[in-house]
Amino acid sequence: MTDLLQHAFNGLVNGSFYALLALGLAVIFGMLGVVNFAHGAFYMLGAFGAFILLNEAGVNFWVALLVVPLALGAVGMALERLLVRRLVALDPLYNFLLTFGLTLILQDLLRMKYGSQPQPYPQPAGLRGTVDLGLFDFPAYQVFVLVFSVLVSVGAWLLLARTRVGMIIRAATERPELTRAMGIDVGRWISPVFGFGIALAALSGVLAAPMRAVSPLMGADLIILVFAVVVIGGLGSIFGSVAAGFLIGMLQALGNVYVPGLATTSVFILMAVVLLWRPAGLFGREETAV
Amino acid sequence: MRRNLIPAISTLAVVSLLAACGGGAGGPSGGGGKISDDKIVLGVINDQTGIYSELSGPNAVKAVQMAVDDFKAKHGDDAVSKNIEVIVADHQNKPEVANTKAQEMYDRQKADAIFDVPTSSAALAVAGQAAAKKKLYFNITAATTALTGDKCNKYTFHYAYDTYMLANGTGTTVTEAGAKNWYIVYPDYAFGQDMEKSFSTAVEQAGGKVVGKKSSEFPNTSGDFSSQLLQAPAAKPDVLGAMHAGGELVNLVKQYNQFNLKDKGIGLSVGLMFITDIHSLGPDALAGTKFTDAWYWNFDQQNREWADKFKEKTGSRPSFAHAGNYSAAMNYLEAVQAAGTDASDDVVKNLEGKEINDFFLRNGKIRAEDHRVIHDVYLAEVKPKSEVKEDYDYEKIVTTIPADKAFKPVSESTCKMG
Amino acid sequence: MTALVFRKLAAMPRLWRLVAVLGGLLIALALPWLIYPPIAMDIVAWALFAVALDLLLGFTGLLSFGHAAFWGSAAYTAGTIAIETGAPFPVAVLGAAVVAMVLAVPIALLAVRRTGIYFAMVTLAFAQMVYYVANQWRGLTGGENGLQGIPKNLFGLDLSDPFYFYYAGLPIALIGLLIAWRVVHSPFGRVLVAIRENPARSRSLGYPVDRYKVMVFVISAGLSGLAGGLYAVSHGFASLQEVYWTTSGKVVIMTVLGGIGTLWGSMIGAAVIVQVEDYLATSGIHIGPVNITGPGLITGLIFVGVVLLFRRGVWGTVAHLLRRRRHVPDAEPHLSGTTVPAAEQEPAVAPKS
Repeated sequence: MTDLLQHAFNGLVNGSFYALLALGLAVIFGMLGVVNFAHGAFYMLGAFGAFILLNEAGVNFWVALLVVPLALGAVGMALERLLVRRLVALDPLYNFLLTFGLTLILQDLLRMKYGSQPQPYPQPAGLRGTVDLGLFDFPAYQVFVLVFSVLVSVGAWLLLARTRVGMIIRAATERPELTRAMGIDVGRWISPVFGFGIALAALSGVLAAPMRAVSPLMGADLIILVFAVVVIGGLGSIFGSVAAGFLIGMLQALGNVYVPGLATTSVFILMAVVLLWRPAGLFGREETAV
Repeated sequence: MRRNLIPAISTLAVVSLLAACGGGAGGPSGGGGKISDDKIVLGVINDQTGIYSELSGPNAVKAVQMAVDDFKAKHGDDAVSKNIEVIVADHQNKPEVANTKAQEMYDRQKADAIFDVPTSSAALAVAGQAAAKKKLYFNITAATTALTGDKCNKYTFHYAYDTYMLANGTGTTVTEAGAKNWYIVYPDYAFGQDMEKSFSTAVEQAGGKVVGKKSSEFPNTSGDFSSQLLQAPAAKPDVLGAMHAGGELVNLVKQYNQFNLKDKGIGLSVGLMFITDIHSLGPDALAGTKFTDAWYWNFDQQNREWADKFKEKTGSRPSFAHAGNYSAAMNYLEAVQAAGTDASDDVVKNLEGKEINDFFLRNGKIRAEDHRVIHDVYLAEVKPKSEVKEDYDYEKIVTTIPADKAFKPVSESTCKMG
Repeated sequence: MTALVFRKLAAMPRLWRLVAVLGGLLIALALPWLIYPPIAMDIVAWALFAVALDLLLGFTGLLSFGHAAFWGSAAYTAGTIAIETGAPFPVAVLGAAVVAMVLAVPIALLAVRRTGIYFAMVTLAFAQMVYYVANQWRGLTGGENGLQGIPKNLFGLDLSDPFYFYYAGLPIALIGLLIAWRVVHSPFGRVLVAIRENPARSRSLGYPVDRYKVMVFVISAGLSGLAGGLYAVSHGFASLQEVYWTTSGKVVIMTVLGGIGTLWGSMIGAAVIVQVEDYLATSGIHIGPVNITGPGLITGLIFVGVVLLFRRGVWGTVAHLLRRRRHVPDAEPHLSGTTVPAAEQEPAVAPKS
């Protein structure tokens, strides 16, 4: 039983990354109708950002956790202004293709500069070793990742639920036509929201650096799994994306124990089941199922 | 329909133009495959930019070029040919690219021998081309024993290491040193499965026991090994055997440290490690880890001398793959010199059964039966950071495993030559 | 004078079509004389693959980002058939196409439940699942090592020289292209375009929209399978790379680069990308101290450029420029918008120019 709980807990830790990435994807999708293929690339850039800051300027993890998402969020805004916006009026698939091309470019640029050899990133001081969670010990850093991601998710939800800006974003995300019909000026929020989504991807990248190898391809396979996550959760639903992220992290971790070798495949099987049963996703609404 | 015409013509033009840019060299290839004897061409196929580019990559090409220069300097006017070329192709670790590039090198660029070729799938493809074109192939950086087993052929030689040698070296020695109970974690693909089998056999033959084994998905999308690691302590192993390579190994070792398994009395033993892996993890993360190395640059004066020359050319220290490439190229050229021709069959005849001693091959011998090149190998331990005196000074050699014990005996080989 | 001749000739569309087809054939036949024959075969196989994708993307408005599943499963099937039974390679390739179509049925049935961007993500995810299965199913696929040593049997002919194999394989690809052409220029093809333009209207007219989508998806998968099988036999080899998502991405790049909805444009896209990748793998591009060897940066830049500036692709842009010179209006292509294939857009009466 303790074992099961420990694995489930571990799954939640991994789910944190899915949840943060899915949240960013969902917010961007809601606001622009764009699925950002480059989300995985920005996750990778986040990790590299932390790595570069540490090695070139001696900037520690905590500062990187703040600076890197802000910087990449700004890059995201610029990206939206310069490129994404030009295609927004067209079929959303064009932006999907554009961001796919960007992914190839970003991966190759980093590979040319740093090679594909994974780069080490040390654990932040103060979070080394394990903590006693009552039933079992767990690495302190992993516990921090989980707590931090939940806080960020809740924070994002409060931001969306309690502030005026949030209401507009949420309305635009979940009922885009209605919001526009009500004459709310959604346009001025597009760029910041895109940047916000990118910042979330960068944030999960920084969080991943001390846990995983920093390498140019670290986001490539991950993003496809996150696509499955948002299809399962319902891309139109902010809550759904986050919930599905944690859920699938758990599913994968338990799958690793009980059906080793098929853990990732089980995610795709779940996606197939969801498509059959609720095409709009577990938490999506039917009317957005287009 | 008329509208379709002009684009069609333009298309033809574009395609023809592209074809011309492709560099010509079409048409049926020349019959017989005779090599023009006025030049010897050594081809290197490896990963020029990807995950294996540091452990072999561009510097392996430089090592082969060093061999060519040294050969020319040594033989001067007596050299069998003064015209020796080194050519390169990047296979991006993709077997189908390696396959095409090998074919192209043998056919189009008149390569007489191909060297290196990391990743087993790519190496097997090149071995297939070598057999088909009757040209030589010296594998250095791929690990599969199939090259000297089921898939062996007359024109393929296997240098440096293989999965049997790694398992036998590390599994046997570590078990005999007292770590009887093993918990093996391996990636669920061809290389990992081979390693797991070889290690289990070696451990059991040495009187140890595999108390648990867990596969991890390959590729491991999440980069997470905690499921496997969390299950380890319950089995009460003495040592955790990690069969992963490259980036996955780096992740696994990180998490091994995060879960404090060392403090729980579980040591770490690694199936395959290159000095470049230690460099990227930092020696501290790996301190005390034992693994088998085919060659270590700072082992003795002779190795160090070569490593110094290598550093002059490349600016960094050699991995065993770099040294192996040099040695293979040098011994190939010497065989051509001795045979007086680069005709493949004559060169193979000269190489088979040859006993060689150079800085890489200690007590070396090229087995005629399966073309395994055997030599002494080393059980190494990663030094703690406090003992590291210079860059890449990461290894302490625990024991030397003699050539005749290090590799799979001929009697167990499944190779049917010819 | 020449203008007059031109106009007279132009009035004979059948003749022109014949000339274009013959010209294309001529290039196809000459290709292995101009470039290294295995690369020529690659171009042909990828060209068929890209045309198959365009059938779905250009003519039905569905972006499949998972076509590697069909190309790859066909590669494995062709290899297995050829190795295990020693059947002539066209039989193996045909068998491969059938398996790809069978695999396409469940994926299509699930994927058509969503459209647009969701369709792309769903196909991508399912293809990745096929990749994981292929990776695990080592007994059949050889896992990481791939299927090696696929023979090129054809009634005892020696096809080991890629130059001769090219001519043995070319007819299979041509048959595939012919099928694609027939599909587009059939009543079925017109319904597809109608679905792309306005699914709701097509549905109200009584067309079973989803069934049409599934059918074209399966046909496209079959043609991709034909291409994938041919590719595997040509290389003597089927590897995990064939089912990996980068393969899906590569064929999308080819189709978009050539021109969505132009069918034959995809072939230009395939020729360009195969050549660029071959060139980069052989020599790389040196810009100052930087040596660009990876194909990702260059193909990525080309692709981003095309998406931002030349959404009509190579073929589409050329056609558009010519049309504009003759003052024929045409619209900016949209994936599921207004790219009308040539046959639909031709004005009833040729404009006076």
